[in-house]
Amino acid sequence: MDDETDFDVIIIGAGFAGAATAFQLLKEGIEGDRILIFDRGEPIGSKNLTGGILWGRELDDFEEFLGNWEMDCPGIERSINHKKVGFLSSEDALFVEGRFASWDGTGGTEEPSQRASWSVLRAKADAWMAEKMEEAGIFVMAGMKIDQLHIDGLDPGSYDARDLTDPAQDSGTGAAQKWKVDNLPKELVDKIRNGSICGIVQDGDVMTSKVVVIAEGTNSVLTRGYHFDSMLHAQSKDDMLLGVKEVIHLGKERIDERFNCFAGDDERPPSGMAMELALSLYRDMSHEAWEKYPNTKGLYPRCGGFFYTNRDTVSCGIIVQLKSLPEGLHTYDLYQAFKEQPAIAALIEGGEAIEYGGHLCPEYGLHRMPHRFARDGAVVVGDAAGLVFANGMQIQGMNNALHSGKLAGKAIAACIADGDVSAKALDATYTKSLKASYIFRDLKRFEPATKFLNDPANFTWVPELVGTTANRVFREIGEEKVTAEKVLFGVRKEMRAKNKANKKGMSLFRMLKLALLGRKL
Amino acid sequence: MSEAIKLGLFTYDVKNGLGLIGYNVDEHEHAHIIVETSKCNDCSHMMCVWGCPAQCYNFRDQGLEEMKFQYEDCVECGTCYIMCDQGAVSWNHPRGGFGITYSQG
Repeated sequence: MDDETDFDVIIIGAGFAGAATAFQLLKEGIEGDRILIFDRGEPIGSKNLTGGILWGRELDDFEEFLGNWEMDCPGIERSINHKKVGFLSSEDALFVEGRFASWDGTGGTEEPSQRASWSVLRAKADAWMAEKMEEAGIFVMAGMKIDQLHIDGLDPGSYDARDLTDPAQDSGTGAAQKWKVDNLPKELVDKIRNGSICGIVQDGDVMTSKVVVIAEGTNSVLTRGYHFDSMLHAQSKDDMLLGVKEVIHLGKERIDERFNCFAGDDERPPSGMAMELALSLYRDMSHEAWEKYPNTKGLYPRCGGFFYTNRDTVSCGIIVQLKSLPEGLHTYDLYQAFKEQPAIAALIEGGEAIEYGGHLCPEYGLHRMPHRFARDGAVVVGDAAGLVFANGMQIQGMNNALHSGKLAGKAIAACIADGDVSAKALDATYTKSLKASYIFRDLKRFEPATKFLNDPANFTWVPELVGTTANRVFREIGEEKVTAEKVLFGVRKEMRAKNKANKKGMSLFRMLKLALLGRKL
Repeated sequence: MSEAIKLGLFTYDVKNGLGLIGYNVDEHEHAHIIVETSKCNDCSHMMCVWGCPAQCYNFRDQGLEEMKFQYEDCVECGTCYIMCDQGAVSWNHPRGGFGITYSQG
C-alpha cells in the first residue's frame, strides 16, 4: 500500500452519506485503516435530525457490515406498511389511507424485500452505524469539527477558516451576499477556490489524504467556503425548507393499538404508519400577521405536516418553505397550530414530548441542482450536495444520501487505483454515475409534480375546498342527495364569494391548470 | 378551533421544548454564531426572528428596542444565516463536542 498520504480517504461527516461512502470503499478493497471518518457530534448522531422516513433497501448492500440492520439497528424504528396522505384545514381533515399487507406485517408477506420504508430516529441510527464502522476497522473520530481543508501548496495558516463563511463587511442587502474570501488577496482566493484538495486541517495540524469526501449534511460550511456551487444555493431561502418536530412518547403498546400496527415478532420488525399532509391551517394567523407586518401581505406559509410512528414514540412536525414565511409568524407557532388541529391532537393524546428540534432540508429541484460535485481531490455527497428529492409533500433524502455515498465510494476507489483523483477523473466517474442514477432521474420525472405541489393553491384553498366538500358529501342528513360534483361547485361558489383571493385563485382556468399539473404526480 | 386561530392563541412553549434537548454549551468566546446586532437596527423584516425555531433572536416582536441574540439554545439548524440579508450573521458549527445533543433525532 502506498503510504505517502496519511490516509487514502478522509470523510467529513458520519451520517448516512459518509457511512455509505466508507462501507463502499471497504467493499472496493480499500483497507479500513486507510479510511478516516470525522463527525462533529459526540456521540455520533447527536447532531442529526430527520422527519423521517428511509425509503428503499439501500442498506442491504452493506449486509456484511450491518448484518440484519432492520432488526438490530436501534434507530430503524418501524417498517411502514400503512400510509396516509391528506389535506388539513383548521376544521376539516381529509385523508386518503392505504394499508398494504404486501408491504409487510399484517398477516401478509414475510418477504423482506417488500419492507421498503422505515421510520427512523437518526441520533440512535447514526450511533449504531458508527459502531459498525469501527467494527469494520475504519478510523472513526467523534466530536471533531473540520472547518478547513488542506490545499496543495497553500500554508493553512495563511487564512482563517472562519473568514470563508463570514458575511463580507461590505455586504449590501438583498440576495447578493458576498463572503470575506472575496476580500482576501486574489492569489489566495484562487487557490482556495481552485487548488487541489489533499487533506484536512485540524487546529493547525494537517492530515493528508488522496481524496476528501464532504458529507457534512445540510449546513455544509465546507462547500460554502471552498466554492462547490451548492454554496450558492445554501445561502438562499428560495431553496431551503425548515423542519420543526417533536418526538412524542406514547409507549409501544399504545402505538400498536392506536395505529393498528403489527407488533413485530422474532423475524419481523413492528409495522407503522406514515402520514404526510398539505396544511391550510394558517389563513387566519397570516391575516393577523399581515395587519401588524404589512411588508409580507399576501404571503401564506407553505407548510407540509408529517406524522410518523416510531417504536414507542411518534415524530410529529411540519416542514415550511422558508421563502413563504410571512413576517409576524414564528415557525414554532406554526408547529403548534398543526399539533392542535383536532385530527392530530387526537393522535398524540396522552403522549409526552421528549424531544424538540429543527433542521434544514435543501429543496433545489432539478433546475437549481448544483453541478459541481467534485474538485481536484474532493467530492460532495448527500445533503451537503443538495441531493434531496422534495416535491412539497414528500421528501426523500436519506436513500439519496446512501446511494450517492455508494457511487462516491465506487468512483473514488477506481480513481485511486488509476492514480488520478483530479476533478476531471472524479466527475467522469462519480458525477457521471450520479446523473445517471435514480436520484437525478426522479428529479427530472417529477419536476411537474413539484410545480403542482408547490402551487400556493395547495396551501390555501385546495384543502378547504376538498375538506368542506367531503364534509358535506359524507354527511347523511336524510334529505335529498346531490352529486359530489354539485357539492364541490357549491362550495367553490361560497368560498369565492367569501374571499377576494379565492375569487381569483379559484377561477376555472386556474383550477384546470392545476388539475393538468396534478396528472403528473 | 377556528376561534383560537383568530385570537392568535397558537403559542408553542419554546422554552419547554428546548428544555427537552441536551446541550453542552461552549464558552462565550467560542460562540458559534456571532451577530453584529448594530446591523439589525435598519432591518425591516427580522426574518431571523420569525424563522428561528429556538427563539434565539429576540427583537421588536418581544417589545425590545435592540436585537438580543443568545447562542446557548441554538439547535444549529442554520435558518438565521439563510434568512439574514443584512450581513449580520456569521455562522459556523460549534466546536466539536459542543452545542446541541439530540438523543432521538
